[in-house]
Amino acid sequence: MVSRWMYVSLVILYSFLLGPFIIIFMASFGANANLAFPPQGFTLDWFANVFETSQFIDSFWISLHLALLSTVVSLVMGMPVAYALTRFQFAGSGMVETVFSAPILVPGLVIGFAMLNFFVLLGDMHVMTGLFIGHTAILFPYSVRVISASLRNLAPYVEDAAVSLGANRLRGFLLVVLPNMQAGIAAAFVLGFITSFNNVPVSLFLSGPGVTTLPVSMLSYLEYYFDPTIAALSTLLVIFTVVLVQTAERVLGLSQFV
Amino acid sequence: MPYLEIRDLTVSYDKNQPTLERFSLNVEQGELLSLLGPSGCGKTTTLRSVAGFIRPDAGQIVINDHDYTRLPPNQRDIGLVFQSYALFPHLTVFYNVAFGLRMRRIPKKEVKERVTNALKMVGLEAFANRRPAQLSGGQQQRVALARATVIEPQVLLLDEPLSNLDARLRVDMRQEIRRLQQQLGITTLYVTHDQVEAMSISDRVVVMNQGEIEQIGTPEDIFAAPETVFVADFMGFDNHFNAAVESVQDSKLTVTWGGAPIELRWHSKFGSPPSGARAEIFFRADSASLLAGTEASGLAGEVILHTFHGNEVQYLVETDLGEFSIMQDSDSERFAPGAAVTVQAHTQKWIAILEETAARRVTGEKNDRAQAKY
Repeated sequence: MVSRWMYVSLVILYSFLLGPFIIIFMASFGANANLAFPPQGFTLDWFANVFETSQFIDSFWISLHLALLSTVVSLVMGMPVAYALTRFQFAGSGMVETVFSAPILVPGLVIGFAMLNFFVLLGDMHVMTGLFIGHTAILFPYSVRVISASLRNLAPYVEDAAVSLGANRLRGFLLVVLPNMQAGIAAAFVLGFITSFNNVPVSLFLSGPGVTTLPVSMLSYLEYYFDPTIAALSTLLVIFTVVLVQTAERVLGLSQFV
Repeated sequence: MPYLEIRDLTVSYDKNQPTLERFSLNVEQGELLSLLGPSGCGKTTTLRSVAGFIRPDAGQIVINDHDYTRLPPNQRDIGLVFQSYALFPHLTVFYNVAFGLRMRRIPKKEVKERVTNALKMVGLEAFANRRPAQLSGGQQQRVALARATVIEPQVLLLDEPLSNLDARLRVDMRQEIRRLQQQLGITTLYVTHDQVEAMSISDRVVVMNQGEIEQIGTPEDIFAAPETVFVADFMGFDNHFNAAVESVQDSKLTVTWGGAPIELRWHSKFGSPPSGARAEIFFRADSASLLAGTEASGLAGEVILHTFHGNEVQYLVETDLGEFSIMQDSDSERFAPGAAVTVQAHTQKWIAILEETAARRVTGEKNDRAQAKY
């Protein structure tokens, strides 16, 4: 009885989750000039069109660079913070944790808008620099959280053990803590990369003429055209993300940290 | 001359309430000394101070005549075994044990030799290439033991090493630790809250309470002759009653039990109290016996409750001196609740602690603390 209801609700849940993707996926192969469902005919022209649209190609490279750079920097900055938060009890450590979570809690549009105003006040700043700072800021809390989780999995006294065996604090960290953080760092990398790569609200405000990220350029493309090119691009992005996450799950056991 | 000396150690996490205050203790060369006490008594703080992880406010740690007080923990040459094993999860058993030797830049060939030997001593030579996660709790603690001893430390410190293991394994491991400790002749400080563990493994036991030493002695002394109320209670003297001292003579202290005098062991170092002084008399559940009826000499009482424990039956008996818990062989005569019985004292295992001593101890502590503050 219970299992039947569970089954039904599961089907409903999954159809809402996966339905849109299936429609987009099928529409991207349709021969109509407008995005339509059910699609008529079959063509790969829209996929070809994606690669011929320089707007997409340019913004893809910008998104890729941006995601890599801001993820790496947020990891490097997040590591010592995660270490301090998990290893030491200090006055205001709860405060620090809350402040570092703020970018997750505050709506992206608000962050984007606030940053835009802030950067305008600061004066002439390169668009790419603004995007980089904005993305690093929103990724930072994810880095701290995921790396903290991997540190909490490590028995608290292992560093003391290393020190009692003759390692100084730095060597203890490098030889014992860091190797055990590897999986957490990799997981934070994948999560950060995807978060940055898919971000719209912050990028929307911080983009500038000629410098824009892929999701933002998709949005502006949609304002003028309504052909299945965007469906084809979406299909490619879904495949890209699924492959990335699946690889990470297989290799690292991503779900253990998120 | 003691090998490890803790001199007037003061450690406070909270300024107004020091965890340890002018705490002193000596450990002889090759001795295994246990720090026994409930959680919060300062035993782990003492151990971590010796290891160098806690910087004391005052006092000294001296090992083999060298002052270690200001030495950072990585230069102390001390073997440390943790309750949680604290093995390095990313390294194999071999490299876990080799860690300390590699830090000391010992040549590869010698490292291999010494690690192999150490693993052989704990019976794990076949597991050298496993990861800690692939070992049982007992095996992991053996690795931790090998890792701490392979560096031939000046002092070995064990912090509740058996607490994470199940009961049967604990008995095996404690014999193993003792055997290894004696084989290596290594001076050892062993922290535990389990009195059976402390009894079975130690040369001497230190019973600690609230940062102070209650009693130091051999396991036999601590077990049979507690000198303070706290130790008596901690060592399982379940029954006690208050009595007036009749007389003290020839290492015997006499009190009244069921109308007749009984003689208890007495040591002159505790003084010779005047007759009429109050004393707290302690005895374990197994050092009294029950007889049917109230005609025999002894203390009259009534059985309130009996509980079957297999080889033994536990009776709760109400008497004029209070309720006593008494263990009897389950083969002996059984008594139902309500039965009138006589409680006979096996006084060779009973102890007396003067009330005055107990009281002085408590106020003495307070005075010491008050003085130290100013």
